[in-house]
Amino acid sequence: MSTLFLADFSVIKPDFGLIFWTVVIFLILYAILGKLAWKPIQKALRRRDEEIQTSIDEAKRARAEMEAQAADNQRLLMEAREERTRIIGEAERQSKEMVAAAKNEAREAAQKVAADAKRDIENMRKAAMVDLKKEVGTMAVEIAEKILQKDLRSDANQEAFVRELVSDLN
Amino acid sequence: MTSSARYLFLFLFCFGFGLISAQEVNDHGTAADHGTAGDETDVHQSCDAHGDDYDPAGVILHHIADANEFHVFGDVSIPLPVILYAPEHGWTVGLSSMFHHGETAVDGYVMNHGRVNRIADARATVLEGEHPVECIAHRQETVDGKTSDIYYAKVNGEEYLLDAPSVGDGGLLGGGITSFYDFSITKNVFTMLLAALLLILLWGAVAAGYRKNEGKAPSGVQSLMEPFFVFLRDEITIPMIGEKHYERFQPFIMTVFFFVLFCNLLGLVPIFPGSSNVTGNIAVTMALAVIAAFVAYFHGNKHFWAHTLWMPGVPAAIKIFILTPVEILGLVIKPFSLMVRLFANITAGHIIILSLISLIFIFGANGENVVGAGAGAVVGVAFTLFMNCIELLVAFVQAFIFAILSASYIGAAVEDAHHHDELGHHGEEKIAEGGAMGGAVTGMHTAAN
Repeated sequence: MSTLFLADFSVIKPDFGLIFWTVVIFLILYAILGKLAWKPIQKALRRRDEEIQTSIDEAKRARAEMEAQAADNQRLLMEAREERTRIIGEAERQSKEMVAAAKNEAREAAQKVAADAKRDIENMRKAAMVDLKKEVGTMAVEIAEKILQKDLRSDANQEAFVRELVSDLN
Repeated sequence: MTSSARYLFLFLFCFGFGLISAQEVNDHGTAADHGTAGDETDVHQSCDAHGDDYDPAGVILHHIADANEFHVFGDVSIPLPVILYAPEHGWTVGLSSMFHHGETAVDGYVMNHGRVNRIADARATVLEGEHPVECIAHRQETVDGKTSDIYYAKVNGEEYLLDAPSVGDGGLLGGGITSFYDFSITKNVFTMLLAALLLILLWGAVAAGYRKNEGKAPSGVQSLMEPFFVFLRDEITIPMIGEKHYERFQPFIMTVFFFVLFCNLLGLVPIFPGSSNVTGNIAVTMALAVIAAFVAYFHGNKHFWAHTLWMPGVPAAIKIFILTPVEILGLVIKPFSLMVRLFANITAGHIIILSLISLIFIFGANGENVVGAGAGAVVGVAFTLFMNCIELLVAFVQAFIFAILSASYIGAAVEDAHHHDELGHHGEEKIAEGGAMGGAVTGMHTAAN
């Protein structure tokens, strides 16, 4: 048993030369591999990751866009349909209105014509009445003149008449 | 990329085998430790001829140790560069083959069981130039109640005490500063370089894939390795450090994970160029843990340091005597736990596997009992296979744990103050209003702190 501990267990004694060479080799290896491999690989992997990410994002975006477009189309179609309905309704409403307005106008025109005719008739009747009155007056005056011409031939009558007229003047 | 990688490997192997010295090698602790009594031809002898018994502990500890040459098989080993520094002598640089596996002392340096040692006697005349080494003596001496292995090299008829390289254990584990420092490209350093090279080739190919397939689906090695990157990002850095800061630390965590993983895996390969126990050496795990701690503490924000050094909302006496010392200890314990966990796991695995292999020699009574050796081989191989599977798992798990804990330390250091502050402000507002909720929220706040 003692032999084990007597034999030179040299690996547990840190040799300066070996420490020196380990440090040197490791640091040189680190520098070379860092420049030659780790940095380029890291960069390439990152670039690839980014590429994959971008293509996934791109695909997602494209799909979303397509979906949005389909929805848009649907919306446009709906809108067009609504518009059509609206336009037709509008047209119907307008034509009805127009018909109603035309009817009104016609009625009003007829009424106006009737009223005008009535007024004309009235006017004409009034004019006729005026003419008639004038004619009747004239006839009365002529009759009265003839009567007077016949009555005033006597002096007494004349005097009486003048007196009457003077009293009327007072 | 792949074709250039192939040429690189071809070159590496040609270079490696070109350097193989086909000399008599006996770098195995086995042979050296139990000696080969009466075998005159073995020059790499021990001075003391002890018995023929197999010493499993010596063999195992020799195999998990670092070495200055790369033993491939049999008598073939690949020499590695040695860079040695002794304060009173200066630098000694060369190939480990110049020591002739312990037969030659160069500038007082002697190869002892695959590791370079130095003659400790500063006045010795053998500290300059080359000298033949007659033998290396191994003794166990007891100093101050501690028994330790002492090695002597016999040069020119005189025995000299051998120093192991300086280690940073502060003398606690029988090491400490000795007469020289070993900055050689050892077996472990070689394997770390190999792991680094493999990682650069692999991830270079992956990064090239990203350039080639830009904007396209990944292919080939790129699609093989990308899940690792993404897994570490999604399972470690983002949850531990947070969405806001993780990008800064992802490269560090990746490097830590793959460096530890590749060192672990190369350590599991039993033949060249694997077989070195890199992450099972505390120097390596210490360096990595300290780097991770430095990264975390260097990026520590005001909120982190305030809560570590001077916790708001706690009486000053408690802060001075309990909280602040504990938190400061925590700053050291965190990397310490990282260091020990990885080291212990990997070393333990290697020791178990080597112990199971040693069963063959123990049951076989070192070659005398063929039946026993056969039985040992059956048992040993079965269990080793099983252990290797577990070790493979451990290699990944420990790399993952090292990375996730490093990330959690970094995450704690860079965490934004928002959460606590909001809670605190809400509490204050509620108290000002005199509402009943105020007490409850403040209570939560103190509890959370």
